[in-house]
Amino acid sequence: MAMRFKTVTSPFVLLDTSVGLVMRRVLYAMLPGIAALAWFFGWGVLVNLVIATIMALAAEAALLAARGKPLALYLGDYSAVVTAWLLAVSLPPLAPWWLTTLGILFAIVVAKHLYGGLGYNPFNPAMVGYVVLLVSFPREMSTWLIPHGIDQAHAMTLLETLQAIFSGVLPARFAPDALTGATSLDILRTKLGLGLTVTEVRNSPVFGIVAGHGWEWAALGFLVGGLWLVYIRAAAWQIPSGMLGGLAVIATVFYLIDPQHYAPPWFHLWSGAAIYGAFFIATDPVTASATPRGRLIYGVGIGILVYIIRAFGGYPDGVAFAVLLMNIAAPTIDLYTRPRVFGERRA
Amino acid sequence: MHPSDLRNAIRNAGVVGLGGAVFPSAVKMNLSGHCERLDHLILNGAECEPWMTCDDLIMRERAEEIVAGIHILAHLLNPQEVLIGIEDDKPEAIAAMRAACAGTGYAVRPVPTRYPSGGAKQLTKLLTNKEAPFKGRSTDIGVQCFNVATAYTLHRAVNCGEPVISRIVTVTGHVARPQNIDALLGTAFADLIAQCGGYLDGVERLIMGGPMMGFAMHTDAMPVTKATNCILAAGLGELTPELPVMPCTRCGDCVDVCPANLLPQQLYWHARAKEFDKAQDYHLFSCIECGCCSYVCPSHIPLVQYYRYAKNEIWAQEKEKQRAELARQRHQARMERLEREKQEREAKLRQKAPARPEPAIAGPEAGKPPIEAAIARARPRSETAVAESGERNG
Amino acid sequence: MSETGYLKILKDGVWTQNTGFVVLLGLCPLLATSNSVVNGVGMGLATTLALFISNVAISLSRNLVRPEVRIPVFIMVIACVVTAVELAIRGFLPGLYTALGIFIPLIVTNCCVLGRAESFACKHGMLKSGMDGIATGLGMTLALALLGALRESLGQGTLFSQADLLFGEWGKHLTLHLASDYRGFLLAILPPGAFIGLGCLIAVKNVFDARAQRRIKPAVAIAGPREAGA
Repeated sequence: MAMRFKTVTSPFVLLDTSVGLVMRRVLYAMLPGIAALAWFFGWGVLVNLVIATIMALAAEAALLAARGKPLALYLGDYSAVVTAWLLAVSLPPLAPWWLTTLGILFAIVVAKHLYGGLGYNPFNPAMVGYVVLLVSFPREMSTWLIPHGIDQAHAMTLLETLQAIFSGVLPARFAPDALTGATSLDILRTKLGLGLTVTEVRNSPVFGIVAGHGWEWAALGFLVGGLWLVYIRAAAWQIPSGMLGGLAVIATVFYLIDPQHYAPPWFHLWSGAAIYGAFFIATDPVTASATPRGRLIYGVGIGILVYIIRAFGGYPDGVAFAVLLMNIAAPTIDLYTRPRVFGERRA
Repeated sequence: MHPSDLRNAIRNAGVVGLGGAVFPSAVKMNLSGHCERLDHLILNGAECEPWMTCDDLIMRERAEEIVAGIHILAHLLNPQEVLIGIEDDKPEAIAAMRAACAGTGYAVRPVPTRYPSGGAKQLTKLLTNKEAPFKGRSTDIGVQCFNVATAYTLHRAVNCGEPVISRIVTVTGHVARPQNIDALLGTAFADLIAQCGGYLDGVERLIMGGPMMGFAMHTDAMPVTKATNCILAAGLGELTPELPVMPCTRCGDCVDVCPANLLPQQLYWHARAKEFDKAQDYHLFSCIECGCCSYVCPSHIPLVQYYRYAKNEIWAQEKEKQRAELARQRHQARMERLEREKQEREAKLRQKAPARPEPAIAGPEAGKPPIEAAIARARPRSETAVAESGERNG
Repeated sequence: MSETGYLKILKDGVWTQNTGFVVLLGLCPLLATSNSVVNGVGMGLATTLALFISNVAISLSRNLVRPEVRIPVFIMVIACVVTAVELAIRGFLPGLYTALGIFIPLIVTNCCVLGRAESFACKHGMLKSGMDGIATGLGMTLALALLGALRESLGQGTLFSQADLLFGEWGKHLTLHLASDYRGFLLAILPPGAFIGLGCLIAVKNVFDARAQRRIKPAVAIAGPREAGA
């Protein structure tokens, strides 16, 4: 008798890759940046990560079960963990636990699963969660710890950090204003609003070599991880280069027009969430443009919007808003940037 | 020999493209209507897919005969330049072909080994930097492409009078002695595998063709055809097991690898939603089904399957449309015929009708020219009939 | 159409064809004035009043107006009615007038008022049209009240705050504080909260309707063969 074989359709060989692998690589790439953040801002960064991860996995599991999806398969794609980390890193290190939880729930339940889950969400879930918190709780969201190295008083123990996060009690041995303060972008914004020049503001101790003290090292960490992501092609190179390029160009233009009222481009590149956003937030493929040229336009759009929001808008940083705004534009960008098909006449 | 006689001889010998498409070669040798003269004649010595070695082997062992076949092609097509594209991982084949081509002016060009460079359009682009228009033929840009094995059979057919009765088949995978076999057409796969020492343990799938575009067979009682370039008896060690499909994350890996510069993820959405006209907007029919997108997809989506499905649906719809159009035409023709026959019958009836005394019937029907004409024709006769009867009566 | 029963008109207006949840007409006032129960109910009642009067007026004049000019006439009637309602609220409930602001005169542009005039009032008699106006208005009020309750409770942790605007002095005692020391959730009060809240309410209504549908279906399935046998 002739042998019987399984019949499936070609191709029969697949690259050894998976959504889970790509997502795990994103997590690895975040590690240097997270390490820098933890060094400058203490235990809170790590506690936030743990709370966010647990909450995200719980919410994801509950929603998957409710939608009748296979739990193991979808939890194993690590997308919920990536969302959790992306959001947790953006939160202030002493953010109360309910703030983190609320943001995660909004990100996973509303922004992700109500729109159809992995692959179907039009908006970046982590940034939806972040913006909901920023809009609803401006006070909690703008109280950052003063980075290590400016004030000796920062060294909170793990226990004190947990107490601060879960019961809102700051350790009595520190004066409240010795622990928390505004970020460098925030200070720049307020002081410029008061009529000071950029040079005068730069004398504040929160500023480091090029941008905010401590922040610039975290940005460097994210840059290293991000470049690795681009190198292994887990992130499209067009988006970060477009975003940072767009931000740099528009910042340079304004800096050349009036260097006393507009911060230099290198300050903008190294401040806030610019590098982190360029490599980790904007590159989320689900919500970004999917054509090669479209990705460049998408990135440049985010870069310009970030600058406009920072320089003229109501918030000190604008990465989250800029990403969400360009998320809306992504399908249209895709429509008008279709690549020339093989054999199609060059227009 | 006159070119059209030669083409007829080639057609009668059953020479077809042996790369896998089995398109009749004689048709490709007729340039009339497409271009005056061929710029480039391309001989495809790049294997269609990984694992195959049949083209490599024929170039190494039968280079002289291939060149004899190229002479015939050059005679028929009169190209300005003959290019032989061979993947750079086949140094022996390149050396053999270079030696055989010495003094003929044919250029042997190594091309990078990067799937799917063995595709005719892709090889043309690599060698001449010309892209065949996506709604036309390669002759529109003055290029024609033949497989090296086709050139060999052409030589056998024209110079030795032997029609295509065998071809070289790569038998590989989980068999005892993987090898290339010059197999007669019609030989069962099972016999070829027995020739190679039989299956090893753990054979899971039997594939005709390569791992990227081949067809999985459910039995080895299949005959070798002109399209059988490779038989791959594969265990799961070599092939990927079926993996659970995740949703598309629009990562764009497929866009990066698509040799036709398509947007596979967009095609997938539209094929899945059965929006076939939109899929065609995204140039579904430029897809060569090479399988690169499915290969790299992190969500393990069987993308090519969706494209095949969409293409088949569109073809079915078009056939349905043609059939409906034909039925409509037939119906219309029938109605016209019935109408014509009716009128003819009426006219005849009127002609045959016995003369009516009152010719007033012409009154209400005056608006209908043919009938009126028939009546007009009938009238003199009826008048004479009246006259006759009058005579008779009188 | 003429045999439409009063009960069906009421059910259509309040539930089946609810302007807020089903037809999605008049979203502008619905989203803008639903940040608290009191604002929502106030706006809803004002709209109901305007709908009632304009529907009756248009129904009465339906045989006098040529179809070519009906839309401008409808708008004229609605504008007059709304101006009257606006002046009445300004006179009797000045607090509510300040809270609702520009949205009361904007009832004129509320598509649901013109929509009912065009699709119902100009084809039916006075009584039915008046009934339809009240039913549609109540449906709108229901939507506004629910959305207002959702947004108010989430946004500031209260219900019926500022009820004195509607009900006078004693309304101050109506205010419920759901949680002591509630921090507030600004998003629910801001415009995005209205969109998200409305989306959630529509989803909940659809779930209700789907459940009801499912309860009806098996009964039909059982009845089916018996009918076939008979």
